[in-house]
Amino acid sequence: MSGHLIQWAALLLCVLGALLRVPGVRRGRGRMIFAALVLMSIAVALSLPPIYLPVDGVLGGWNAANLVIRLSLYAVVVLLGLRMAAAFDAERVRALIVGPVGISVLLLTVAATLVLFALSDLSESSTGLARYHGQQTVERYADIGRLYPGYVSACLVVPAAAGSLHSGSRPAHRLACFLLAAGFFSVACFAVLELFQGLDLGVFEVVLPFGAILLVVSGLTLIWFSRRRGRPRQRNPLA
Amino acid sequence: MAVTAKAFQLWRQEIAPTDSVSDLCRSAGIKRSTLAQQLVRGKVSVSTLLAVARGYGLDPVCALAQFEGYTDLLTGMRAPTSAELLSQVSHRDILKLLVARGEGTGNGLSDLVPFPHRNSVRAWIEAIDPGDLRQQLSERSGIARQNLSAQLSAGRLSPGLAIDASRIAGVSLTSGLVVTGLLTCAEGGWPVTGRADALNALSDTDLVLLARDRLDALGKQLRKADADENRDRAIWENLG
Repeated sequence: MSGHLIQWAALLLCVLGALLRVPGVRRGRGRMIFAALVLMSIAVALSLPPIYLPVDGVLGGWNAANLVIRLSLYAVVVLLGLRMAAAFDAERVRALIVGPVGISVLLLTVAATLVLFALSDLSESSTGLARYHGQQTVERYADIGRLYPGYVSACLVVPAAAGSLHSGSRPAHRLACFLLAAGFFSVACFAVLELFQGLDLGVFEVVLPFGAILLVVSGLTLIWFSRRRGRPRQRNPLA
Repeated sequence: MAVTAKAFQLWRQEIAPTDSVSDLCRSAGIKRSTLAQQLVRGKVSVSTLLAVARGYGLDPVCALAQFEGYTDLLTGMRAPTSAELLSQVSHRDILKLLVARGEGTGNGLSDLVPFPHRNSVRAWIEAIDPGDLRQQLSERSGIARQNLSAQLSAGRLSPGLAIDASRIAGVSLTSGLVVTGLLTCAEGGWPVTGRADALNALSDTDLVLLARDRLDALGKQLRKADADENRDRAIWENLG
């Protein structure tokens, strides 16, 4: 088995999280989060060589699959960001994601990603573009691919952390908010730390991003369970 | 504040020298595993102790007074103050009396909603507060202010804190155990008709002002509960 154990764990959890939501989605509930989980599953799957190499082969062998990862992740981040902003009633975060600034950042990111990908010389399939490490345009392409998720995640850390501190909330929600906040924090940290050239993150190179996925998907799944079991908790409030 | 398992065992041998732990639990109507766990941890809860005392026909307050930290319980037992009694009257009864007086259909109620009610503990603390009760209580017992607040919000108050609060406020030491439901009215020295008498003795003005305060507090509580519920709902609907 190649690839880190944590990557397989993240893939498993994403797929499970998505499957759990299928019945709800057929009733028209939670479509955006479901879409985010499916896209996240695709992105995580493509980070694993046994999946990346055959898929990229089918796509022509010029690493288009890596571009799929990037664009999926952008979509995941936007979808999650919007739902989170609504869930936490964080109007300013929503504005930062889909307001004029957020949309400009997203368009710039997508444009830069496409241009840098086109400028790079990526003639042979390589998972995570590992073979092309050191090529300037590839390095920038990777940086940008982390910065946009990092930006949105950074916006979400505070509302999610605040959600975990509300003493009136259900314990499951407080735990879920904590997991989400920790996950977003890891994504933002990872994006910033990777900017420093020559900084060797060692095992955290894999643990930070995939750990973040585990945290976020765990949080979402916890909320899904809480909703399934949830009933109005107060008896007669006037008693 | 629980009592030590060692002291409990000594006391148990005194009151029921021949009974096993199983017999004891059967008489007291408590689960064997509960007591076993408390004995293993070295601390027996006050509610267990009181249940055992009742099971053997002992006066619960006398029994508790034999343990360290509770020895002044009997001498410190007094009649509850009118404010304490009123704090344990439900807003439903207050409003009922208000309506009855308005309609001229009666000056007094006799059948009150049983207590402790959901707000009993906080209402009692507010009723006996000389001004800085929470501050003094947290200094004296070493509990952090926010933990104390959390206990009160959840409608709980540990027996040790309840008695300390009584000591600070200078009220009957058993009052706190009555409003937390550990002691019954009769056991804690609260007259059975005390709450009704205190309520019925209120002048119209005091009754209206009391009703206002209670509705005010209830309104705030409901608003907070609504906000919590809305937050949970928003999380479910957007992320669930």
